[in-house]
Amino acid sequence: MGKVTSSVLPSIIVFTPWLTLLVAALWARSRPRTSRGLYTAITVATGLLILPMYGIALDGGVVRQHLVRVVPGIDLAFRIDTVGFYFGLLLAVLWIAAGVYSLGYIHERHTRYYCFLALNLSFCLGVAFSANMFTLFIFYELMSLATYPLIIHEETALARRAGLKYLIYSISAGAVILAAVLMQYFYGDTLSFLGHGTLSLAKVSKPVLLTIFSVYMLGFGVKACIMPLHGWVPDAHPAAPAPASALLSGVLLKVGAFGIIRVLYDVFGIKLLRELGVGLPMLYVASFTIIVASLFAIPQTDLKRRLAYSSVAQVSYIILGLFLLSPDGAVGGLLQIAHHAFMKGTLFLCAGIIIHETGKRDIADMEGVGSKLPLTMMAFSIAALAMMGTPATCGFITKWELGLGAIQAHRGYFIVVLLISALLNAVYYLPIVYLAFFKSKETIKFSKRETRPSMLIPTLVCGVMVIVLGIFVTVPGLPYSLVKVVVNAVF
Amino acid sequence: MNLAARQPVLLVAVPLVFAATCPLWGMWKRRICFYWALGGMSVTAFLAWSLIGKVSQKAPLTYNVSGWRPPWGIQIRIDTVGLLLACTITAMSILLLLYSYRYVEKEIPTQRIVYYYTLLLLIFTAMLGCSVTGDLFNFFVFMEIFSITSYALVAISGERRAIRAALKYLLMGATSSLTVLLAISFLYSVTGSLNMVDIGQVLERMGRTSSPYLPVAAAAMIFFIAGFCVKAAVFPVHVWLPEAHSIAPSPVSALLSALVIKMGVLGIIRTLFTVYGRGFSSFSEVWGALATVLSWAAALSIPVAAIMAIMQTDLKVMIAYSSVVHVGYIVLGISVLSVQGFAGGLFNIVAHAMGKGCFFLVAGIIIYKHGFRRIDDLKGLGRSMPVTAGAFAIASLSIVGLPPSAGFIAKWNILYGCLQQSQYIQVVLALFGSMLSAVYCFKVVYYMFFTGSNVGAKMDEGPMTMLIPVTLLAAGTVFFGIFSALLMPTLSNAARVLLAR
Repeated sequence: MGKVTSSVLPSIIVFTPWLTLLVAALWARSRPRTSRGLYTAITVATGLLILPMYGIALDGGVVRQHLVRVVPGIDLAFRIDTVGFYFGLLLAVLWIAAGVYSLGYIHERHTRYYCFLALNLSFCLGVAFSANMFTLFIFYELMSLATYPLIIHEETALARRAGLKYLIYSISAGAVILAAVLMQYFYGDTLSFLGHGTLSLAKVSKPVLLTIFSVYMLGFGVKACIMPLHGWVPDAHPAAPAPASALLSGVLLKVGAFGIIRVLYDVFGIKLLRELGVGLPMLYVASFTIIVASLFAIPQTDLKRRLAYSSVAQVSYIILGLFLLSPDGAVGGLLQIAHHAFMKGTLFLCAGIIIHETGKRDIADMEGVGSKLPLTMMAFSIAALAMMGTPATCGFITKWELGLGAIQAHRGYFIVVLLISALLNAVYYLPIVYLAFFKSKETIKFSKRETRPSMLIPTLVCGVMVIVLGIFVTVPGLPYSLVKVVVNAVF
Repeated sequence: MNLAARQPVLLVAVPLVFAATCPLWGMWKRRICFYWALGGMSVTAFLAWSLIGKVSQKAPLTYNVSGWRPPWGIQIRIDTVGLLLACTITAMSILLLLYSYRYVEKEIPTQRIVYYYTLLLLIFTAMLGCSVTGDLFNFFVFMEIFSITSYALVAISGERRAIRAALKYLLMGATSSLTVLLAISFLYSVTGSLNMVDIGQVLERMGRTSSPYLPVAAAAMIFFIAGFCVKAAVFPVHVWLPEAHSIAPSPVSALLSALVIKMGVLGIIRTLFTVYGRGFSSFSEVWGALATVLSWAAALSIPVAAIMAIMQTDLKVMIAYSSVVHVGYIVLGISVLSVQGFAGGLFNIVAHAMGKGCFFLVAGIIIYKHGFRRIDDLKGLGRSMPVTAGAFAIASLSIVGLPPSAGFIAKWNILYGCLQQSQYIQVVLALFGSMLSAVYCFKVVYYMFFTGSNVGAKMDEGPMTMLIPVTLLAAGTVFFGIFSALLMPTLSNAARVLLAR
């Protein structure tokens, strides 16, 4: 266990994105281009502010900041531990990519879009840096609401319907989580995250603990799109503009998974979860989601909708890894958060470029896209291969760790789920690659301007990251090193 | 003359004097009435706010009017609950007066503007009187004053439907007042006292000696609760509220929803806890049953009224139904009989006053600028009126009970109180109701911000005197959500004392 330091840095990081609102208020009308540049600069600044905590996080240390006491016994407080730092850093990186990408992609309603993009970052960081369930819940609810304007950004009838569905799902989920938090506080007397479970069988009876657990899963499961709570995902992702979908899929779904991580490691604790025996049922739910969502993805004709279903399946990898309740499984689950963020980020950003440059959304129309947009489709192919778990990509590392974890937990048969999933991934990703590159009658032309550089560069960076994370796995600072620290502390 | 010692009574006397003299100024120049009222309420606000920290539930500030000691004379008795209401009333009054300045010029017949300010001063006086008095009959008198004033204020525009709504309000209001009067006379006949604390002590003595008159006191208790429930618009007897609150001029609607119905809640607190206390041997069962009935009525009212609110097409009627939802929360918190729930209920009095005040004032600005009342007409108002619509969006967080707003803190404590008393069904009903609340609130926010414009995108905000109150109220909901610790410990202490008997 590393040392605990007190600092005001957490709240500075969380509230830096709010500067966007200030910039928007001052210059959005008079200097639109400058202000858009500043929005991106603010996101980058937020990311840079997170970096100094790298050393502390790698030592397993904690940075704390107490904000204000809300109710006796309940505080608004921040606490950056290793898993929080890991998630926060990932948030910042993807936000920078999406922010830069948006410069090229978003053509209308800039102010509203960038303001809510920034607010979302702030709230997600708030979730990552929460010191207790109460603070987490507050930021989680705010994040849920702030996502809505991003989903309906294009204001089409389709987007509105998706937005409504999203709101119904997430507000109901919010009420359910509130009930769970209330119960946890009532029976467990504390909401703080201490790095170990705070509930125990000695104090609370088993049925009550099981109720709290299931209510939490029901609540966070909506954002983490565990089937059958995934209904909003396949509508919301295609409706949102591409950079927002990349964020939705890349990290916002993981905020739900992050909530589950907190419930696992800081509310219940591994030992209690084993005693309660909730691991196996959750593994079945996760496996069900992985396979069924992949099957649902196959018949989708809309590119982004197919990607959305793929996300539903992939987020359940995290759940699967976590509930194996074995160290390697946890490593796999936690790695998947970052790895899937880059894979799916790349895919959605590519989809955005395709839609932006060719106007094609239907997969059947992808014929020959590869010759028009070779770099984009190359990135797409890399990410698609990673999704299938091809070695030398980050997707392989996750699957490897998950497989090890399954064996370690004496549940080796879950490897079958991983294999089936890899196969299904191939079934729904490879045709796109095939259509794009091999059904083309034209020869590939590396035109000077494939698309705007502001869109191409973030996409390629994400694509390169997919390979980097798959080869230089153990380089300190990349997810693996941080995840190891988290897992060593928990197990 | 020692003014400081007379501060409690000045709290009522000052606005009363200003109210009485207001028409005189009106005879000379109409415009002066506004400044006169604003000045009067500022002085009163100073008097009320300077008491903060000087009173507690256990050691209230008392003042015997004309030197008559209780139980013979009228006693002013300011405890935490009373001061909480007094401070809320005075703070709201200033914002409402400021708001009225431009609003009445357009929406109320010119010759009635003088009456309007006079009636406002009078209603503030009466509500302050209710909050600080320790005398049951005195409470009734002030209650009659604010009731009759509010009938007049609802009808002040002189439109046909306003008069009809006022008449309906009057019929229900007068009946409930009579019920309360009946209860007071019952109690007086068996205890011979009108001072609340004194009655409480007499009743305790009667309970110990199992006096044969106890059933009379028990009947009086039921009458009290029935009467005050009408005033507070608790669920089955809320029917007068939506019409009266929606047809009144918007600042009056805000006043009625934010403050006047809370007087009914105050009546419930005063009788149920100060007068009757808890556990008088022989009729503690009646008392307990009454509290249970109240908590069920309140819990049911949350989803039912929320559904009613969802079905409305008129913005102000929708907001009015939402008031029934929040009275449900408040009464649920109070009647669930746990310290934290009670404190949450008290906190929601403030939270709802700010949130609902903001809602009605926003509706008023929209009526003032565009004359829109239907929710469908609000399309795209967020572009032309960003401040107004933004304030509505922030206040709706509090009304729905989402963090980090004051409404959330209130809901959290109320629900926690329910859990402490193992009232799980109430928790589910309340949570369900808050989900439904999200539907009607966010529907409006959606129309304002996320639909094509109805009125053009050019900035077209209301006047400053209307924007300032709205912004302050919206900011207040967030402020008290984050810094709820300023209030909650005090309220918890008060709740502990009230529930301790």
